[in-house]
Amino acid sequence: MRISRRAFALAAAAVLALPLSACGSGGDDGGSTDASGKVEGDITFQTWNLRANFKSYFDGLVADFEKKYPGTHVKWIDQPAEGYADKISADAAGGTLPDVVNVSPDLVAPLAKAGLALDLDKAAGKYRSEYLAGAWASHQIPGTSGTYAFPWYLNTGPLFYNKTLFKQAGLDPDQPPKTYDELFADALKMAQHSNGKVATLANVPTIEDFGRYGSQLMNKAGTGFAFNDAKGVELLTKYKELYDAKALDPQALTATPESTGKKFLTGAVAMNPGSALDLDNFKKQAPGLYKNIGITDQITSTGHVNMYVMGVMVNSRTKHTAASVAFAHFVTDAQNQMSFAKKVAIFPSTAGSLDDPYFTKEDGTDETRVRIAAAKSLKNAVNYTPVLFSDQMKTALRNEVAKTLQGRESPKTALDNAVKACDRLLRQEG
Amino acid sequence: MAGVTRVRRQLPTSPWLFAAPGLLVVGAFVLYPFVTTVVNSFTDRRTLIPGRFVGLANFRELIHDDMFWTGLRNSTLYIVGVVPALVVLPLLLALLVQKNIPGITFFRSAFYTPVVASIVVVGLIWVWLLDERGLVNSLLETVGIGRVGFLSDQWLLLLSAMAVTVWKGLGYYMIIYLAALAGVPRELHEAAAVDGAGAVRRFLTVTVPAVRSTMVLVAALSSVAAFKTFSEVYLLAGPDGGPAGEDTTLVMLVQQTGTGLTGRVGYASALSVVVFVVTVALMLLVLRADRRDRP
Repeated sequence: MRISRRAFALAAAAVLALPLSACGSGGDDGGSTDASGKVEGDITFQTWNLRANFKSYFDGLVADFEKKYPGTHVKWIDQPAEGYADKISADAAGGTLPDVVNVSPDLVAPLAKAGLALDLDKAAGKYRSEYLAGAWASHQIPGTSGTYAFPWYLNTGPLFYNKTLFKQAGLDPDQPPKTYDELFADALKMAQHSNGKVATLANVPTIEDFGRYGSQLMNKAGTGFAFNDAKGVELLTKYKELYDAKALDPQALTATPESTGKKFLTGAVAMNPGSALDLDNFKKQAPGLYKNIGITDQITSTGHVNMYVMGVMVNSRTKHTAASVAFAHFVTDAQNQMSFAKKVAIFPSTAGSLDDPYFTKEDGTDETRVRIAAAKSLKNAVNYTPVLFSDQMKTALRNEVAKTLQGRESPKTALDNAVKACDRLLRQEG
Repeated sequence: MAGVTRVRRQLPTSPWLFAAPGLLVVGAFVLYPFVTTVVNSFTDRRTLIPGRFVGLANFRELIHDDMFWTGLRNSTLYIVGVVPALVVLPLLLALLVQKNIPGITFFRSAFYTPVVASIVVVGLIWVWLLDERGLVNSLLETVGIGRVGFLSDQWLLLLSAMAVTVWKGLGYYMIIYLAALAGVPRELHEAAAVDGAGAVRRFLTVTVPAVRSTMVLVAALSSVAAFKTFSEVYLLAGPDGGPAGEDTTLVMLVQQTGTGLTGRVGYASALSVVVFVVTVALMLLVLRADRRDRP
């Protein structure tokens, strides 16, 4: 049999194109926003680095759901923390996004804009009242109408400090700073006393810090950034003073959360923000530090501490909308959130759950003290990070902050430049 | 004639069929992504949003992007700092371990170990060594020099990353040189020695000319690798590329710009095209220099 050159070339092109055609962003062949049908079908649920510690909890959760809704089958997959956003973007671009996905508000924003997140105001509005109003609103995106994920667990945390280092610097270890002025004064004293060897802070200010200091992060319409206001400039000016005095760690400009955590563990840094989860880590990795650990409230000028919100999103292209919505709600309902909160130091986003005795009654342990204080502060906490603040914007802000700390730009110029860069990215990101 | 097998005439498509598996792999994993990257570089495509054709807008934008020039400067500096070291040092190392003396295998293996070590592990070890409170700074403090900001100063960070690249690449290029040195006729060395040439003279007049083409190969390979460097700077300077992003290399900029849910795939593709053009130009430059200098 003879194969003509043209036929061969066509066949080769087809073979080449076939596996690659899967790389498109997927057709609009998904399901609907109608979640009222029968709860049945096979769905996939993706979590964010939870398998290692909570396998039995999620196995139980899936089994309970399948028992409650016969005819459903949930395949649970877990992705490591590192590169989670990249994994989601690859899946979203490849049309292989799971039906139900664990997300944070900044991850859900681009997915919602691309039409990949189901609008829960339409598909599951009846559940809205089950959640704290602030938590439900945390997955709403400026410029779009709708809510794009069920709120799941919340977290906030105190400020840990090393009492030994405070004592050595002549500071009262039982009187940690409560205001920004006290924090800056103590930090300068600590640096002076240790001859620049012990810094009090190890991170450059982030967008949340600007928010907590009282800067208005975005304009009211959510169409532009505004953290270059007087409060923002004031905060950055203070950080510049700290950096010059080595009260802010000299390596802060290249620090990551992991590296600053290690510096706190080794006593190179006197204060570090954290959560109740960290206490266990201190106990295991730095028992000496744990004996002298001080715990104080997050410092804020606004009266509202910062909180982190996790959500559970439903893929708008799922073939089983009813089952996916039902499962996302099941994962985040009051009973299951409470049960999860008792396994790990996180806080439910469901209305009334924070009044449970588990979050209000002292038992004399540090863990409970931290938990109760955090639960109390969560009632009026704010997720300061704007949902539209992308990774590229975070980098732009960090770079401009670094230029100020290095003395290459004034705080005002740096923040003006950062706002300009973030506004440009906001326009480009649509 | 019984027992004689008739050989059928070869079909014109036969060679293509043999080459097809390889062509498929190259097409799917090299050509298609390459063509897609070039096409994307003329669009404003984002991770989740298909782009529109924008002509040369991305290339015009990168000319006005300070970070692009920072990345280009750092990638170029990387070549200047790393390539000479990677051309000369592995050759000297190969000369040291070339001789078959007892125990030499241990040294050959030891020099090769960094090549097979994971870059992430290597990066972490160097971060611990160069940290403000790390081993190197403790030693410097002990001898009275004081702490040096290897991981906080923009230039020291870049130099430290170059040091890691050189340290990690020594063994790889050493093996290439060992193979080349094995082909240098012993008689040439003996004749030069008889003529009174010392070790340095023999190295310059016998060894270097004999391994010249290998040196060109090493220069070409290491300059392309240096221009595309990512991991060392990423691990030592952090994901932002050092203080204010001043240590960002071009490939890091591609990663920062083009990844994530809000990644600007079009712009990152334009950056990738520039990286491609520069690396091809580098290769051509090295090969041309070799041809011109060839006796």
